[in-house]
Amino acid sequence: MKFGDFTALRDISLDIEAGEFWTILGPSGCGKSTMLRLVSDLVPPASGSVEILGKTTEAARLAREFAFVFQDATLLPWRSALKNVELPLEIGRKRGITIPTGDRTPHELLELVGLKGRENALPHELSGGMRQRVAIARALVCQPKLLLMDEPFGALDEMTRDHLNLQLLDIWKETGTTILFVTHSIPEAIFLGQKVLMLKANPGRIKEVVEIGLPFPREIALREAPDFNAYCGRLRKLLEDC
Amino acid sequence: MAVTETPVTDAAQSPRMSKATHQRLIDIGVPVGTAFALLVIWQVGVRLFGVPQYIAPAPTDILGVFVSEFPLLMRNFWPTLIEAISGFFIGNMTAILIAVAFVHSRSVERAFFPIAVFINTIPILAIAPILVLIFGPGMTAKVVIAALICFFPTLVNMVRGLQSVSPQTLELARILSASKSEVFWKIRLPSSLPFLFSALKIASTTCVIGAIVGEWIGANVGLGALIIESTFNFRSPLLYATVFVSSGLSVLLFASVSIAEKLIIRW
Repeated sequence: MKFGDFTALRDISLDIEAGEFWTILGPSGCGKSTMLRLVSDLVPPASGSVEILGKTTEAARLAREFAFVFQDATLLPWRSALKNVELPLEIGRKRGITIPTGDRTPHELLELVGLKGRENALPHELSGGMRQRVAIARALVCQPKLLLMDEPFGALDEMTRDHLNLQLLDIWKETGTTILFVTHSIPEAIFLGQKVLMLKANPGRIKEVVEIGLPFPREIALREAPDFNAYCGRLRKLLEDC
Repeated sequence: MAVTETPVTDAAQSPRMSKATHQRLIDIGVPVGTAFALLVIWQVGVRLFGVPQYIAPAPTDILGVFVSEFPLLMRNFWPTLIEAISGFFIGNMTAILIAVAFVHSRSVERAFFPIAVFINTIPILAIAPILVLIFGPGMTAKVVIAALICFFPTLVNMVRGLQSVSPQTLELARILSASKSEVFWKIRLPSSLPFLFSALKIASTTCVIGAIVGEWIGANVGLGALIIESTFNFRSPLLYATVFVSSGLSVLLFASVSIAEKLIIRW
């Protein structure tokens, strides 16, 4: 996986190995979200190119190589949880486009995110955390090679957030998908990521890539560990220098 | 995330249940009681002050006429019902289709929206005679007037409804490479339904007004014609009974739309 150079964010060149979990940190306005939007073909690069598995972003989008999880769950309120997960399978079906389907059925994906038994619930009947889990199941339904997450747990309370962090690590392990995860929270970035990409503002550039040498599987208790706190201190210092 | 519910014992629950039932009885009883009290005051007032029947008939007079003239009222009820419903469907369908065109193309909206606003600013009472002149004394003119009166609120609401999709949902559609028609059928149209039903509720009562206004201008059947006729002949109890039937018709259409809304919009 390769990002070319793009100028909306200046001179960003990164190679991301398949199956890696990257978290992206940086001050507000440093282009964290823009970066995901470039990768997902939502905005075109001013110059340069972005490649995903040797394809242009448009080709990757058409082949459903990646999926996006927004800060807001963006579920369709008139569809049940299951119907929301099935939405990507319906789009394009009538136009004869072959839609990649994963190993897991929508039912199994809802089970994977811990929502077995709530298949028929409408979004307004679910809590914020549950809605976000439906959104994750929906993102996984075409078995994407790359999962882009833009502060997906930013609006949730801390307990729910911890729970979903653990669940996301399980899902990552189970599916082997590559994850790019934008967050505001230093502990979240360290807890989830193998590598933390620190961006700098005005213009957005790479400040540093920090490898997180903490072992997997990770538990909540890891957050009390001295190693973890050392990473926190280091990243906080980097963020202050931005 | 688990929600712990406080256990409620049967003993604690039953008085609460009866309290809820009690509350429901109050909710229904108070407005019905008030309406009944007002009718009694009306009846007593008219009789006490000896008001002539052609100025203000007593509720019992109206009820008497309602029973004795029931076939006449019904004969005039059906044409108005048909005109109102036809106008409702034609006006709303036109508004929906034009709203879709507006959302689809900005230039169509720029060209036609000012015209739609202009048509809406013409008082329906002023345009009704023109339409009767064009379409003659038959049902067509009344249907057109009823359709016209429904049109504008539905157009405005439907345009808003179709545009009510959040930018993130549209980004989701783009990531899924959805076509324009998929975005329309799977996202925009369902999103607009709550807005559409708000407009249909307004239209369900105004279409009856449209039909009756049309009948005032020139008709020999229909509730509007009966209102004019009974007014000129000083048959006040019949006039009042006709007015009640007219509002009953509006209530009937409003209730039908409300029930349809409850069945369709579950979110």
